Amino acid sequence: MFFDAHQRETVEAAMARIIPTDDLPGAREAGAIEFLDRYLSGIDFVYAKPDGSGFETLEGKRADAWHQRIDRLRATYMEGVQELDRASSAAFGAEFARLDPEQQDRVLAQVERPSAGSESGLQEAKVTSGYGAPVEPALQQTSAEIDLDFFPLLCQHTRQGFYADPIYGGNVDRIGWQVIGFPGPTSLAEVHAGRYSTLAYFAQGQTDSEVEANSGA
Amino acid sequence: MALESKPERVDVCIIGAGASGAAAAKVLTERGVRVVALERGPWRTRETFGGDELANVNRYNLWPDPLLNPRTVRTSAEEDPRVELFCPVPQMVGGGTVHWQGWLPRFIEDDFRMRSIVGEVDGATLADWPISYAELEPYYDAVEWAFGVSGQAGANAFESPRSRGYPCPPMPLSRYAQKFHDGCGKLGLNAFPTPQAALSRPYNGRPATVVSAFAQQHGDPTGTRSSALNVFIPNAVATGRYDLRPECYVREITVDEQGRAKGAVYQNAQGEAYEQEADVVILACGAVESARLLLLSQSSRFPNGLANGSDLVGRNATFHEYSSAIGIFDDPIYAWAGGGYVSASTFEFYRHDESRGFASGGHVAAAGVGIPLPINWGLPDQPTWGAEAKRYDREFFNHSMAVSMVVHDMPRHDNRVELDDGVVDAWGLPVARITLTPHRNDLDQGRFLIDRCAEIMEAAEATKVDRVYMQRVTGNCSHQHGTTRMGDDPETSVLNRWCRAHEVDNLYSVDGGPFPTATGANPTLTIMANAWRVAEHIASARGGQE
Repeated sequence: MFFDAHQRETVEAAMARIIPTDDLPGAREAGAIEFLDRYLSGIDFVYAKPDGSGFETLEGKRADAWHQRIDRLRATYMEGVQELDRASSAAFGAEFARLDPEQQDRVLAQVERPSAGSESGLQEAKVTSGYGAPVEPALQQTSAEIDLDFFPLLCQHTRQGFYADPIYGGNVDRIGWQVIGFPGPTSLAEVHAGRYSTLAYFAQGQTDSEVEANSGA
Repeated sequence: MALESKPERVDVCIIGAGASGAAAAKVLTERGVRVVALERGPWRTRETFGGDELANVNRYNLWPDPLLNPRTVRTSAEEDPRVELFCPVPQMVGGGTVHWQGWLPRFIEDDFRMRSIVGEVDGATLADWPISYAELEPYYDAVEWAFGVSGQAGANAFESPRSRGYPCPPMPLSRYAQKFHDGCGKLGLNAFPTPQAALSRPYNGRPATVVSAFAQQHGDPTGTRSSALNVFIPNAVATGRYDLRPECYVREITVDEQGRAKGAVYQNAQGEAYEQEADVVILACGAVESARLLLLSQSSRFPNGLANGSDLVGRNATFHEYSSAIGIFDDPIYAWAGGGYVSASTFEFYRHDESRGFASGGHVAAAGVGIPLPINWGLPDQPTWGAEAKRYDREFFNHSMAVSMVVHDMPRHDNRVELDDGVVDAWGLPVARITLTPHRNDLDQGRFLIDRCAEIMEAAEATKVDRVYMQRVTGNCSHQHGTTRMGDDPETSVLNRWCRAHEVDNLYSVDGGPFPTATGANPTLTIMANAWRVAEHIASARGGQE
């Protein structure tokens, strides 16, 4: 794991405001912090094995690239936590994790839009949030997360920790999927073995033979 | 770089084993030609693929890693280029077809003579193709039947003549496709099931395609989708004449004293360098990377890059642009089912219509919202975080869809691929720099098409529709064309009608590079059909067996 206790507590608290708990679970219950802390721990949890039996070992240039990427992300987070505490202390005289949820939201809004109040600052914040942060619909472009600033990066990782396959440490018991009604596979192995089919969610009125022909099992 | 001992000379060396390279390899090897293929990426098997949105969409499991393979982009020559993963395609055996959902519409007759139909467009280099639809039709048919494409002949009122129907009936009807049909029906628009690289029933000894949610942008662990990896590669391997060498990165095409292509210098995974000599060299790296390789191949004979005496290599680059109107429906439509792209289409806005005030048009089809899986789904007006963002996820994830369009972007002389003079890749070679200013026509056409997309969902009684107009060309389709334009005139084209370089008589390119125009439809079926045509021509010229 990467975070020290204070960093972990701070990031977890921020995640709990990004996907808050309401009548259904949020980022805290889904273990999004566990997902992120594990991701930042090194390069041992970058890719799950596709049958869910563990994680891939990265080698060569691929490993080099991931070391570089994780280093950059770690630096962004370390600075980000300090920034949250600075802003919290300035506004409310306490560290971020000590604030109540409403105060935390106000600090996050300020971190999201450093020049809040000016229209150009707002626009800038929107543009930098990029892929995965749903300012514009994700199309077919892959993401470039190391270019993101702290807050959009945290939003993206919170979403990943809430919705990624549970093997990565978040989305515990597929909580995230249940919240939005996504009937994801019970495990990566189900998809890998060809047993996961979504035909039941297609239009009604198809013949049994059509369903049978495309359901895999 | 010191070269290791020379591998045995071969009939044909193909650079790349994606859609076009694999199609060419299948045809050549089946006609008795010995082929060495040099593919820079790995040869992954179906066991290495999985239903993992995080790995596949967000962590470069299949996409190129931008830290290893960056590109740069700028909107004009006056601007400083910025590093951006512009128009990426998976770099591995199978290429883009490894993670596609595989929409395979044919182009229509008009596409091959757009300059004649539209006339001169200011600021664009619109051109007719040197070949016609009729010449390509037998090869469309060949690819469709090799793949077992699922579709419905005659359903598209605008399609050009076909010699026979599709080998498999359309894929099952998704709920988002049903909304599209409903909307088109109410507006009096023709709609048809999108022809797809998937098997709606067992075909040619292959089982029907498993309809998972992990399709678009995911590899296929079941091996049941139709792709270059699942069809053409096994076909070529079965001949015993296909020597496919993965993780072999070609850095230069060498030339002999006569200026003919001599071979390919490449580096394998261990970093050892070799020169593979061949009678014929075929580029199949994708339009961006094939142009880059030509530009990297500088010699005293070709100081500005191989086959580039005309200074046209890399120019007239086109990339399409994919954008959508997003609709919300009261009833659940599960637009992730089947991967989000088991779809319905219309060509009503595809053909050129003078009265619209812009040239040409594009393919419009139903789809999920982007990659419609939980991590990467999102609506245009959705906040990034907080209670309201969560409410969007809860209420709209199962109730949203897109109707999307492909812009037929105009070719321009100054929209081009060059070598960057500052940024190198992880192998120390200059990366591709893309310079691109969208033509006014692209933006006008995009706006028109997005409005039509929106109307289809409004007619289908969407409760809310957002229009996302394209602002610029971002390369978000992974489609790429035009950089080695084919034509009859060496003054205005790089390749001839057989996709052979005007300046080098044993050098070919068979990816999207030869396309004089992008058209408004998904290009890979045509890329594969054209590669098949060219490969057959090469085999015939060599006296290969039928």
